[in-house]
Amino acid sequence: MDAETADDIAPLQVTPMQSSIKIRTQALCFYYHHKQVLHDISVQLPANKITAITGPSGSGKSTFLMILNRLWEEIAGCSISGNVTVELEGHLQDINDKALPARVLRRKVGMVFQQPNPLPMSIFKNIAFPLYLTHITNKKHVKDAVEGALRQVHIWDEVKDRLNDDGRLLSGGQQQRLCLARALVLSPEVLLLDEPTSSLDPEASAAIEELLLSLKSQCTLIMVSHYQDQIQRIADLRFEVRDGRFLCPDAGCN
Amino acid sequence: MNRPHSFTEYIFLTAAVCSGLLTAAVFIFLFIFSLPLLQNGQLTDLLLSSWAPDKGMYGIYPMLSTSLTLACLSLAISFPVSLGCSFVITALAPARLRRFLLSMVRLMTGIPTVVYSFAALFLLVPFMRNILGQGSGMCILTAAPVLALLIAPTMIIFFVGSFEKVPRSSTLAVDALGGSEIQKLLYVMIPLAWPGILNGLLLGFGRAMGDTMISLMLAGNSASPLNSLTQSARSLTSHIALVMAFDFDSMEFKSIFVCGLVLYIFTAILMLLLRMSTLCFSGKR
Repeated sequence: MDAETADDIAPLQVTPMQSSIKIRTQALCFYYHHKQVLHDISVQLPANKITAITGPSGSGKSTFLMILNRLWEEIAGCSISGNVTVELEGHLQDINDKALPARVLRRKVGMVFQQPNPLPMSIFKNIAFPLYLTHITNKKHVKDAVEGALRQVHIWDEVKDRLNDDGRLLSGGQQQRLCLARALVLSPEVLLLDEPTSSLDPEASAAIEELLLSLKSQCTLIMVSHYQDQIQRIADLRFEVRDGRFLCPDAGCN
Repeated sequence: MNRPHSFTEYIFLTAAVCSGLLTAAVFIFLFIFSLPLLQNGQLTDLLLSSWAPDKGMYGIYPMLSTSLTLACLSLAISFPVSLGCSFVITALAPARLRRFLLSMVRLMTGIPTVVYSFAALFLLVPFMRNILGQGSGMCILTAAPVLALLIAPTMIIFFVGSFEKVPRSSTLAVDALGGSEIQKLLYVMIPLAWPGILNGLLLGFGRAMGDTMISLMLAGNSASPLNSLTQSARSLTSHIALVMAFDFDSMEFKSIFVCGLVLYIFTAILMLLLRMSTLCFSGKR
């Protein structure tokens, strides 16, 4: 790590790491059309914590998230080297192992994007959609799971009377919570959040932050954020990305 | 600087007004020349009766039903194929294959219909003759697949354009949930692109209705009422071409203006639907 660069970063009040490691990367490099975007990243991300990744635009934060669920494979011209292991259902798994289908990994490593992206279907179907993808079609089970996910993101009372309305008709904050519920309905072990509050007003942001804190007990959260105050409030650990290199300004990270 | 600007505007305005007037003039021309038949009998009689000029019957029902059947059948063949091709081009094919497929589709749009018809005359017609075991092999079933081949490139280009407009964030959402390419097509791409798909369908239908050469060379050209897909039949456009080739002053000749008028009105309705669907969906988004 570059000591001078690390000294520039404001110190954070963080909880010391005591939990087990959920994700480990070793000498991870990422290339986009032969241009190196991420350089030799070796980090360990703790389980059941909120890890924040911050840094200037274009530094490779979102790319790092897309590596963790292999979403980069959907983008032409990308390649990767190095190791990424994640602990799934108690077993260490190399996520780039071709024997692990991307769709199986993505159901365990959920993702919420910067812009809310509800699918062109009803509110109910937006949440039920991941269940249908996993061939869960039992009506009662689906109904209960949808209600549970919507309650979890504190939006049930707002939408329970209009579950058949198009999900795109909700407000920005509601859409983002809908997307969060959609990611949570499959009970992921890791949740990747790419600036989940950047398009929301302060009130909606606060609701999402509160929700993320409550999710820590169920899953590991990795969040990209530009907001230092938000990171101060909810992150247990912070990494800064500069020019594709990870810097860890916090005590306790490695 | 204003003068040339105004002059250019004037030229464009004149061109736009002229094209509008020409379109209206074609309608008036067809209407005036259809009047002798429209005055002698009801329009519905013309639309619903058979073609028997020796008995003074100039009905275009057999031709109208043939045109509609041919267009619907070719669309039924072409639509799933075009949709599949456009999805392969948009989502499944690697970049190099995608470029190759797109350039092939664009090339197909430029092939004259007579080339398709000529190839089918020597390849498909004998095959159909053997399969059917009777007749010349020229029938609706022979013409429809070739017509489908003709309209497919137009539809594919339209569909690809519509799929490319689907926001990347929506398709990434399905990817992030572990959805397959087919699930992405069914649940996100088609629902978001369907106004464009509808437009492509209408254009394909209009093109199939308006094509002359394929039905003229492959459908058989019998003006008897349509009873089966394996019988020889004559479309509206072939009818116009055939009557014009042998006559120029009789009542039969005048009847083809009614055919032209019907085709004109049909195309106008299609275009109106196209405009309405485009405006409706662009307004909603």
